[in-house]
Amino acid sequence: MANTIKIKAVDGTDIEFVNDMIGQGGMKDVYFSPDKTYVVAFFRDKQDAVAKDRLLTITGTFYDRIFKQAGGDYWKDLYCWPTKVVEWNGRLGIVAPTYQKHFFFQTGSRNNDFLQIKGKEKEGKWFASAFHQNKNLDPSEKGDWYKYFLICITISRGVKRMHAAGLAHSDLSYKNVLIDPVSGRAAIIDIDGLVVPGKFPPDVLGTPDFIAPEVLATRHLPKEDKSRKFPSIQTDRHALAVMIYMYLLRRHPLRGGKVHDADAQKDEELSMGTKAVFIEHPTDKSNRPKLSQVKPSYFPWADTDKLPYTIAGPYLKQLFDRAFIDGLHNPSMRPTADEWENALVKTVDLMQPCQNKTCEMKWYVFDNTTAPKCPFCGTPYRGQLPVLNLYSKNPKGMFSFENHRLMVYSNQYIYQWHLNKNISPNERLTADQKKPVGYFVFHNGKWVLVNQAIPDLKDMDTEQEVPVGQMLEIKDAQKILLSKEDGGRLIIVQMVNN
Amino acid sequence: MRRLPVYLLLDTSGSMKGEPIEAVKNGLESLVGFLRQDPFALESVHLSIITFDREVHNILPLKDLESLILPEIVTPDSGPTHLGQALELLCELVDKEVLKSTPDQKGDWMPLLFIMTDGKPSDLQKYREMIPEVKSRHFGEIVACAAGPKVDDQLLKELTHIVVHLDTADSSTIKSFFKWVSASVSTGNRSMGAGGDVVLPPPPPQVNMVI
Repeated sequence: MANTIKIKAVDGTDIEFVNDMIGQGGMKDVYFSPDKTYVVAFFRDKQDAVAKDRLLTITGTFYDRIFKQAGGDYWKDLYCWPTKVVEWNGRLGIVAPTYQKHFFFQTGSRNNDFLQIKGKEKEGKWFASAFHQNKNLDPSEKGDWYKYFLICITISRGVKRMHAAGLAHSDLSYKNVLIDPVSGRAAIIDIDGLVVPGKFPPDVLGTPDFIAPEVLATRHLPKEDKSRKFPSIQTDRHALAVMIYMYLLRRHPLRGGKVHDADAQKDEELSMGTKAVFIEHPTDKSNRPKLSQVKPSYFPWADTDKLPYTIAGPYLKQLFDRAFIDGLHNPSMRPTADEWENALVKTVDLMQPCQNKTCEMKWYVFDNTTAPKCPFCGTPYRGQLPVLNLYSKNPKGMFSFENHRLMVYSNQYIYQWHLNKNISPNERLTADQKKPVGYFVFHNGKWVLVNQAIPDLKDMDTEQEVPVGQMLEIKDAQKILLSKEDGGRLIIVQMVNN
Repeated sequence: MRRLPVYLLLDTSGSMKGEPIEAVKNGLESLVGFLRQDPFALESVHLSIITFDREVHNILPLKDLESLILPEIVTPDSGPTHLGQALELLCELVDKEVLKSTPDQKGDWMPLLFIMTDGKPSDLQKYREMIPEVKSRHFGEIVACAAGPKVDDQLLKELTHIVVHLDTADSSTIKSFFKWVSASVSTGNRSMGAGGDVVLPPPPPQVNMVI
């Protein structure tokens, strides 16, 4: 039995850990507390005074800035944020909460867990690769496509909150984000490298696959050189875009067929750096994946014609264009984490369950055509599909179109944020606001909306009010008022028949 | 996806019989097990094993981690250590197996080479002949591990500047060597330092690095 070591944290509180290393990260050795509720991680290399000051600030001022505000508890599930700084035998370390249970594999890999990963952390890389999804992961670990959107929303929200506090993560990657596709949850980890512009410079460049082109392109310059680029909020935005693309499409947006140099290392630097080109660039097709060179285990995801990025819907297409075309070499054009969160939330309203019960992805994004079909299994949508176009009341009392649509499926709930434009589904929602206010159901051959808690619900065509507890039949071209308040929404129904 | 070819050259001469070779077998098993649990390595690492004693055998031809099956390793009771001949086979294999980049196709990563021996090459002339040949193959890294007191570190240093010396060739030191190999092979997707290139992780405390 390993012995338990008792030490005092820098803030004077008691810390205990079992002197039996449970893991090694890139820079730290990790130990459990006796009750396994927290871990203590010591840096292997000697850290200087700046590093210590940085950690004290992260566990102090920054911790308070995020967690000690109204609604601060919300963030406890989203981050694994270090809470204390410790020193032991001349080594500097941090104390951080243990990862939550759902971030460890329950089953792991196929064939009775042939890789023996059961109980290991669900590092994001397992899920961002078509190869691992196709060949290695047990089906029970994979989740459906909807869950990956939830995961991306959570990650975007977590990054948004850091950026709002003026902090850059500086090493966002699928290694530093744990995800659980079974439940659709995610947590950002390895926060001790936080960069504060002007105060704490970055000590890492990032992780390959996620390093922004300008950082790679200037890494040969001396640190003091003014044109040298380091990780920042803008490079976090690149990493976030890459991560969202990879979780949704299981391939890397810049890893295509173009060869820049015969030397693998140089080729890598160029294709991720100065010469980076989006593999799905609409006009510059030089970096399209060469399918004859791709192993079968990467299909169909490797095929950008079969599963183009547009399957993620119109809102995300726009942002991917900005991230990988306009903003790839022009950091100020990149979408912010806030924009990603909003676009993802709107995209979720466009999702439809696939009617093929055996479809692996189970969900897809409505493609704005009159004959929608699942891009993964090819099953067309059969039956009536109500598409709700959302209009909201502006201060002049007029209702204007918001470029926001809601696709209806049976047993779909609607929430407060569908009733009013001024409510967003985010961390500021109260428990009451998170409750559904109504649901859609296909009942006796008709689509109906059941009113659970919409006080103003009214069919504007018939002037008929629909009280709570009653239902309203949905018809083509119908106008339905959801709320009379400022920002309140009006729906115009389009019925697609197949 | 580029492959990362990893070549292991293992001494199976008579002196390795017993505890040392058992430790090597265990080390290989945990190396493969460890790398299979690393999603980055699992996608890229391909492993090849060459054993050398009186004879030289490519007992595991270059194979992806997922499907490879570790072969049986046997040691003769006694006999010479033909490291030179092993390097010759290595060069042949590298020429044949490692995919070079062409203007149309991305090639493999530069291969890694790990050599473990507990003695001196018996075919010294061949060994010296092969050194420039090996160097011209552009390995990403060559690490030689000298296990036990009988090894001549200087001879290995002619081949590579990274010579790791294990004072004893027992199971715990050999185990720590394989742990270190695992860590070196799986550094690919670790965070890159703001300073310079990716470097090997520090060797385990029981190992002395001869540079």
